[in-house]
Amino acid sequence: MNRLLVSAFALALSAGALHAQTLTAVLNADIRSTNPGVNRDGNTDAVVQHMVEGLVGYAEDGSVGPLLAKSVDVSPDGKTYTFHLRKGVKFHNGATMSSADVLWSWNRYMDPKTDWRCRSDLDGRNGLKVVSATAPDTGTFVMEINEPNGLFLDTLARNDCGGTAVLHKDSVKADGSWDKPIGTGPFKLGEWKRGQSIELLAFDQYVSPKTDKRDGLIGLKRPLVKEARFMVIPDAATVKAGLLSGSLDLALVPESDVPDLKNAPNLALAIAPNPVRHGLIIQTRDPVMKNQALRQAIAAAIDFPELVANVSNGLGKPNNSPIYMTSKYFGEAEKQGFKYDPAAAKALLQKAGYKGEKITILANKRSSVPSFNTAVIAQAMMQAVGINAEIEVLEWATQLDRYNKGNYQMQAFSYSARFDPALGFEQISGPKDKQPRKIWEDPEALALIQKAMVVTDTAERQKIFDELHKRFIEQVPTIFTHNDLDIIAHNKRVTGVKPWASQLQLWEVSVAK
Amino acid sequence: MFRFALTRIAMALPTLLIVAVSVFVLIRLIPGDPAQLMLGDLATPASLADLRTRLGLDQSLPVQFGIWFGNVLHGDFGQSISSQQAVLPLILQRFLVSAQIVLVAVVLASLFAVPAGVIAAWRQDSALDIGLVGAATLLLSIPTFWLGLLLLLFFGLKLGWLPVVGYVSIADDWKAGLLYLVMPIMTLFLHEMGVVLRMARASTLEVLRLDYITHARAKGLSESAVLWRHAFKNAFGPTWTLIGLVLGNLLGGIAVVETVFTIPGLGRLLVDAIFARDYPVIQGCMLFVAFTYVLVNLVIDLCYPIFDPRVAAE
Amino acid sequence: MNGHGRMKLPAPNALVGGTLIAILLATAGTGALWTPYDPLKLSFREKLVAPGALHWLGTDEFGRDVLSRLMAGAATSVWISILTVTLAVVMGTTIGLFSGYMRGWTDRIIMAFNDALLAFPGILLALGLLAVLGANKYGIIVALGIAYTPSVARVVRGTVLSLREREFIAASRVMGNGEGFTMLRHILPNCIAPLTVLATSMFGYVLLAESALSFLGLGVPPPAPTWGNMLAGSRPYIDQAVWLGIFPGLCISLTLLGINLLGDALRDKLDPRMRGAR
Repeated sequence: MNRLLVSAFALALSAGALHAQTLTAVLNADIRSTNPGVNRDGNTDAVVQHMVEGLVGYAEDGSVGPLLAKSVDVSPDGKTYTFHLRKGVKFHNGATMSSADVLWSWNRYMDPKTDWRCRSDLDGRNGLKVVSATAPDTGTFVMEINEPNGLFLDTLARNDCGGTAVLHKDSVKADGSWDKPIGTGPFKLGEWKRGQSIELLAFDQYVSPKTDKRDGLIGLKRPLVKEARFMVIPDAATVKAGLLSGSLDLALVPESDVPDLKNAPNLALAIAPNPVRHGLIIQTRDPVMKNQALRQAIAAAIDFPELVANVSNGLGKPNNSPIYMTSKYFGEAEKQGFKYDPAAAKALLQKAGYKGEKITILANKRSSVPSFNTAVIAQAMMQAVGINAEIEVLEWATQLDRYNKGNYQMQAFSYSARFDPALGFEQISGPKDKQPRKIWEDPEALALIQKAMVVTDTAERQKIFDELHKRFIEQVPTIFTHNDLDIIAHNKRVTGVKPWASQLQLWEVSVAK
Repeated sequence: MFRFALTRIAMALPTLLIVAVSVFVLIRLIPGDPAQLMLGDLATPASLADLRTRLGLDQSLPVQFGIWFGNVLHGDFGQSISSQQAVLPLILQRFLVSAQIVLVAVVLASLFAVPAGVIAAWRQDSALDIGLVGAATLLLSIPTFWLGLLLLLFFGLKLGWLPVVGYVSIADDWKAGLLYLVMPIMTLFLHEMGVVLRMARASTLEVLRLDYITHARAKGLSESAVLWRHAFKNAFGPTWTLIGLVLGNLLGGIAVVETVFTIPGLGRLLVDAIFARDYPVIQGCMLFVAFTYVLVNLVIDLCYPIFDPRVAAE
Repeated sequence: MNGHGRMKLPAPNALVGGTLIAILLATAGTGALWTPYDPLKLSFREKLVAPGALHWLGTDEFGRDVLSRLMAGAATSVWISILTVTLAVVMGTTIGLFSGYMRGWTDRIIMAFNDALLAFPGILLALGLLAVLGANKYGIIVALGIAYTPSVARVVRGTVLSLREREFIAASRVMGNGEGFTMLRHILPNCIAPLTVLATSMFGYVLLAESALSFLGLGVPPPAPTWGNMLAGSRPYIDQAVWLGIFPGLCISLTLLGINLLGDALRDKLDPRMRGAR
């Protein structure tokens, strides 16, 4: 990297001066790689999707739509998918994308040597299998699957699969190992300084999938700055200081920082809910917790508006449903959650025959989730009705291990985003004998979830989800409190910031001189 | 001298081996593993098993240790699980960042604190002595992370003189790089000044009590001549040893300061690796830190005769 | 050495250090029995209230009274430190006595382990042990106790080695006393002076280590307060509620100052030759 640029950047940082056309965003940890869907985590996905795109992608409301494809046809038997590619789409190296590149990318993903994270979801090991993939002409790509599946396109679009991005074959070295992403996204990879920053450069020849409006990954996506940079800053307090001093342009911030940042003259906030669900998960096989009346008592003991207001600094709204609030399936039925009623809670405790057995809530202090605060407040509310609740704070890796082994009574836990409610239910449900991490084992519920995976009709799915929601509230296998909020604090000289899907998107964002 | 060095290194080998084995076992006793962390709440038993196999975590502990240790003996410390970088270059790169801060802070602190300590000892029990020792004790008593926070709050936020975010390598741009190092160095410098001053004073006091000082005084040498020619020179030996210990300890304990100022140093690397259960990085870091500790002490011991001719290296 | 039979006022370090520690112990004692407010009681209407008449030192992000938490925290922190030091001293003395008295290969092996532990940054040791033992008050006591054992063992072993060949030890042996008896009767008492000095400074280290571990996110973070986790928890509110970080920081600093000064004074008293040494 040339010295001039670094020093100019450093100067901008130290003096808080404006450096036009450069956008400085924040990541709380370094990305794992630039290899889509292979070595990844949430931050990696967020950065990589600036550089690469797949055939289909997520719209703002969580539905899947065409991205590099212009349209997708599904055969009447639901097994053959024909993707008509957009014309004139360019890779970062200037080459024009064709169905040959799509096929090459697909074959690379399905090669075990690539270690693509989602291979097992598409090669039959988890049911769904792509039987064949062909490129009959330069503008068409055809995939055939073993049985009709309502979630096939959703799987291809998944963030953790890297959106099944289409890559130019020069993205890998001669020996087949990963080099760098040569994709079709609005930004090219600049310099990646490990542990410090990732630089993205505008791709001048980028063409947005839609040109009328922004719509998640499949709308307007123009790069409006010449250079954008993700700085790696793990510490929230440092991020706040950087925003206040003007050296950082935009960052996702925790709710606790909002009161402070709201009053800063140079900053503005953009806030929107996302599909991440926060709550208290329960081990329904625990000798104490298997008692359904006790679980109902706990749910009745918690004053959700109060709890949510406190852990989200007054910004969040309670939602007890496994279906997130901005989903198109979140309707009247899903709004019927738990009722806060301390008297009823006490009665339920009596009915449950509760004799003061200790209930331990596990929590962690990661700044990205309200785990610890939720546990503290829930503990106080449970104690208020006579439940002997305790908190044990663990480091995240340890808590996750206990989750995977099913070894806990309650945990203040957060489920990562799943756009489709069927997948959202599947995340928490399943037989514990096979997968100890699963929470909800009601066989009828499991059957309903399976059905929702295959059915494609919206109205019919809605009915299934309503029924699942009702059972969930009745049986209390888990107490969801609220959905996560994306809060982006940004400098006022930055325009076009839009919070979506818990990740920063730097396209359509510009910086005033 | 050469044989002395060899013997010392040979003596350190068992210590290093114990460190290697115990780190290896301890880190695997801790619940959670890198595969789980990489997959998060989306892990299925199949994907977990796949990943564990790929990372070689499905083999028995002795086999895993054998493979790792064999590679280490060939100079290969493996690859980071989370970033896939080679461990040894990663450690060296991070070490340089930490070392520049620690070295500058300790050297600066010694420059001020050693003479101050000698003077305090020379004027033992005077108001000056009490004042210096009091100040040193006060500096020593402030936790570095709190001191760092206060500096950050004052110079970074209130006055806006120094950058609060990030890090620029001196190699890339020394001017900007220096700006980022001011506060971390100041934090360590203030703290270490307290430590070193007290050491220097104590060792000077020891020396002042020895017969040959009395002798020198009896010969009619002026006080300042006694102090500088005899006391200072001889008191520096033990202080030097202790500075070595401080250096060794600091490299292990600098994580706190690096966390406050978000500096990509060795301490932060280790703590992050622990959170991420990045086994190769943790093992490499620990072995490296233990090795540095041994090495620093060896160098200090070898230099000892230069400052104290009475002690020959045996 | 420094007495000529005259009555002297206590040294200034003993006076200041003693006063600070007396205040600490009084606070801890009071905090264990009584605090102005319930230190765990959440009060959502009074979040992050600045210091004032109702809450002398303000409230935290859950509306809990900071003064009450500091008092209760003093009790917890002092208790943790005392137990940790006791544990380290007991284990270290046993190992040191044994190793120093056995000498030979036993000594060499024990000391190799000892040195390995010393070359180990405490962070990893504490995290590892905490994870195995469970993250609670007793977990950290055992973890830090084990971490500090090697330095005690070293000091005791050194003392034993220097005493072994002295006349009165030989005399005890000649008189037909068993090894064990000689150790307890003659060697152990001679270790008390250096141990007292070491234990005093260790008390400070433990306090510091507990807060540093909390700061790194590896410590004991229960809802019950310790000074360390209060300070660590104040980090996100650094410019919004300065008092959250200032007061626990001050408490830790003043306590360490008191301990260091008292330690100096103790050393002067118990080991005049080492006057002023670290």
